[in-house]
Amino acid sequence: MNELEAKAARKSFVVYTALSLAITLIFLVITWVNGTTYTAVARIGGMFWVFILSMIVFMPIVIPVIKKKVMG
Amino acid sequence: MSETTRSEHLAQVSLPVQGMTCAACVAKVEKTLKTMTGVQEVHVNLLSGKAAVTYESNQIGVPQMVKMIQDIGYEVPEEEVLLTVRGMSCAACVAKVEKTIKGMPGVTSVVVNLPAESAKIKFYPGAVDKTRIKKEIQAMGYEASEKVTGQEALDREKEARQKELRFQTRNMWIAWPLASLVMIGMFRDMWIFPYFVPEFLGNVYVLWAMTTPIAFIPGWQFFKHSWNGLKRGATDMNLLYATGIGASYLIATINTFWPDAGFGGRGAAFFESAALLTAFIVLGRYLEALTRGKTSEAIRNLMSLQAKTARVIRNGEEVEIAVDEVEIGDIVFVRPGESIPVDGEVTDGYSVVDEAMITGESMPVEKRAGSQVTGATINKTGSFKFKATRVGGETALAQIIKMVEDAQATKAPIQKLADFVAGHFIAGVHVLALIVFFFWFFIGYDAYFLPTSQFVFSPYSLAEVGVFGFALLLSVTTLIISCPCALGLATPSAIMAGTGKGAENGILFKGADAVESSSKLNAVIFDKTGTLTKGEPAVTDVFTTAGFAQDDVLRLAAITEKPSEHPLGEAIVRGAKEKGLSVGDTDDFEAIPGHGVRATYQGQTILMGNRRLMKLQKIDIGNLNQKMEQFEEEGKTAMLIAVDGKAAGIIAVADILKENAKEAVERLQQMGVQVAMITGDNRRTAEAIARQVGITTVLAEVLPQDKAAEVIKLQEKGLKVAMVGDGINDAPALAQADVGIAIGSGTDVAKETGDIILIKSDIRDVVGAIEIGRATMRKIKQNLVWAFVYNITGIPLAAGILYPFTGFLVSPELASFFMAMSSVSVTMNTLLLKRYQPSFRKDQLKTSAHSVPQPQTAR
Repeated sequence: MNELEAKAARKSFVVYTALSLAITLIFLVITWVNGTTYTAVARIGGMFWVFILSMIVFMPIVIPVIKKKVMG
Repeated sequence: MSETTRSEHLAQVSLPVQGMTCAACVAKVEKTLKTMTGVQEVHVNLLSGKAAVTYESNQIGVPQMVKMIQDIGYEVPEEEVLLTVRGMSCAACVAKVEKTIKGMPGVTSVVVNLPAESAKIKFYPGAVDKTRIKKEIQAMGYEASEKVTGQEALDREKEARQKELRFQTRNMWIAWPLASLVMIGMFRDMWIFPYFVPEFLGNVYVLWAMTTPIAFIPGWQFFKHSWNGLKRGATDMNLLYATGIGASYLIATINTFWPDAGFGGRGAAFFESAALLTAFIVLGRYLEALTRGKTSEAIRNLMSLQAKTARVIRNGEEVEIAVDEVEIGDIVFVRPGESIPVDGEVTDGYSVVDEAMITGESMPVEKRAGSQVTGATINKTGSFKFKATRVGGETALAQIIKMVEDAQATKAPIQKLADFVAGHFIAGVHVLALIVFFFWFFIGYDAYFLPTSQFVFSPYSLAEVGVFGFALLLSVTTLIISCPCALGLATPSAIMAGTGKGAENGILFKGADAVESSSKLNAVIFDKTGTLTKGEPAVTDVFTTAGFAQDDVLRLAAITEKPSEHPLGEAIVRGAKEKGLSVGDTDDFEAIPGHGVRATYQGQTILMGNRRLMKLQKIDIGNLNQKMEQFEEEGKTAMLIAVDGKAAGIIAVADILKENAKEAVERLQQMGVQVAMITGDNRRTAEAIARQVGITTVLAEVLPQDKAAEVIKLQEKGLKVAMVGDGINDAPALAQADVGIAIGSGTDVAKETGDIILIKSDIRDVVGAIEIGRATMRKIKQNLVWAFVYNITGIPLAAGILYPFTGFLVSPELASFFMAMSSVSVTMNTLLLKRYQPSFRKDQLKTSAHSVPQPQTAR
């Protein structure tokens, strides 16, 4: 991996992780505000699953965009 | 960078890629390669397993591309060739050969051995080939020939397929016995199972111990491939499987070891989900490995026709050499039962040759000195020698294989939708899985969940499943059922089968778009000369006056015309010889420009020509004028003949129709296709030919440059037009038409311009091409409808749309079963195309089944 590719990979990682965490945070917030009481396991398990799915959704979208931007 | 500089460095490779299983893999490879600097264009074909890449050679090389493909989890198989290199004398020669060959793009390693006079070279096929390597060595002044005896391509392909099959068979052996035990163990307490299933099999730890190897041995391929792709921003089906298997296994594991964690406890372990899910996906992979190769059988069959060795006469001796060492001009000896190694012209001997594999023609053809022979055809009875005229990649077989391969590497316009859907599907499905999870977690579970609910076809209760487990199960099932494998396979598998079927019948489609376009045709324009007609004049009528016999008149006419070099004269001489008449030499011959010829033969004065000649010579033609007009009305060229000052008769000559032209036109008209004929000839001749063949639309006296304009006129009427032609003058019309159909015996220009090439010159193959096109498109549409219906109905069902009303859910393992069956059913449906035969071929087969084939008589 050359330097540009490494830079693109680092930048992509920050972006898709941040986006996935944002979605996960939204999930967490809803569990607090929607009026239902959830167990800690449901909450943590849900966050974990939402985070995984969000990463899977964002990684293929973010990586090529950033790569193109960085590497031209 | 300027356009000129760019084009200087533009290069193309066709890299073989192994391990792709569906359209998303195609999209993944395409997407990954496209992100590389210097890559201009990428086309990946799933079924041929090839990636055609156009790239700037000064910015990127084949090794980087190969590495990238390998990094995302696929294989680019290397090819190895062992060459005999003669003429090297020292270590410097070794270094020179090694350095030069290593410098060729696509070559990965070179080991030259001086004492053994050998060079072992590894390279990526598609980037470079053996012939180029050999030529490079030969250009350095050494002799290079292949040590091995051909057939490698076939063997390699077979080996790769068998390797995949062995791998998936191993996975099946691990997954299915264990998954069956897991399922029995999970249902141990139900029905009659308690009576014979040992108690320990229902133990959660035992179940976990049996599920773990399933998820991580046969299932490992999905985790590995999906991660390799994901970290480069590419996704494929493996990701769906990996998330599905991973989530099921994770829930089962947590519920086994931490039952109080709130995932539903040990009652909601779902080991059978993880186990059967993996087992069904592996089953799908196994069935794909088993069936996919069959759609490309036509190519393999063609390749297997190639002879491995040839017996050539070198220095007066008969020597057996590898077929790719045969050179143009070599005299090749062929014995009965042998495959003819290369194309050539018979110089000595007589035999009959079975050409069915190339032309589709079931009758063996006689070969004698002067006859052309084609490589890969089978010599039946006698022995003969022939002079090689086309070798290596130039032979008819090599060109047919290349054309079929190229056609199969292209994409039909109808595939674009499927590709678009499949390419964007994975991300879409994960978004959907996220939505499904949110819905059932925050709304659905509270609103609709019933502890008594069950999976479809399963007595398993969901009573102990909590909100997270429930939402997760539906989310996972949605992922599993959504796999667009069937969608990805629908079009390319049918195109491969269709183009293969065409090749079997002597119809070469140059691309998938030609297949699709031919299915839509509703007008066909035939060029007249050489296409509908044989393209050379022949004697059609001999009319005589009282006192003259037909054979005598024809013989005298032939004798008179023998010294002339006029095509009509040649036709008369040929006609007489075909009738077995002896054509002697004239004593005196004189051409009378614009009128005809005069000759003397054994004291007889013979005049042959037009009315003016007879008038000039004051010969009374009586009622012959009326007959002349009749012949001329029929489009024939009529010539008067007079012997010793007395009118003897008329010889009519015309370009005659090909045997099956009328039948082909009739069949096209029955199919609802408008048929027209185009020619530069005068209207009277054109209409006469058109009448014979049953064509009512005649475009006569059309200059070559105007033929394309005539095609446009029909296209402007909203017709999808095919142009069938053979000549250079047809090329613009062939290019303008929606489908250009070139006759195999025609000019190279026509063949290069055409979208379809008919190897035999049988016009009925135009009907065959349309029939195959229509059958292929029918198959594609069936496949696409099935694939779309599967996904459109499967996804809402898996997402739990029926649950609020029925209380039933689709389990992840049932989803994986449906998914596996959808792609297998599409492949099986496509394979039905192998049984398809164009109508004329069907008739031929029926006829040949009732009669013993006889060789076609030459004379």
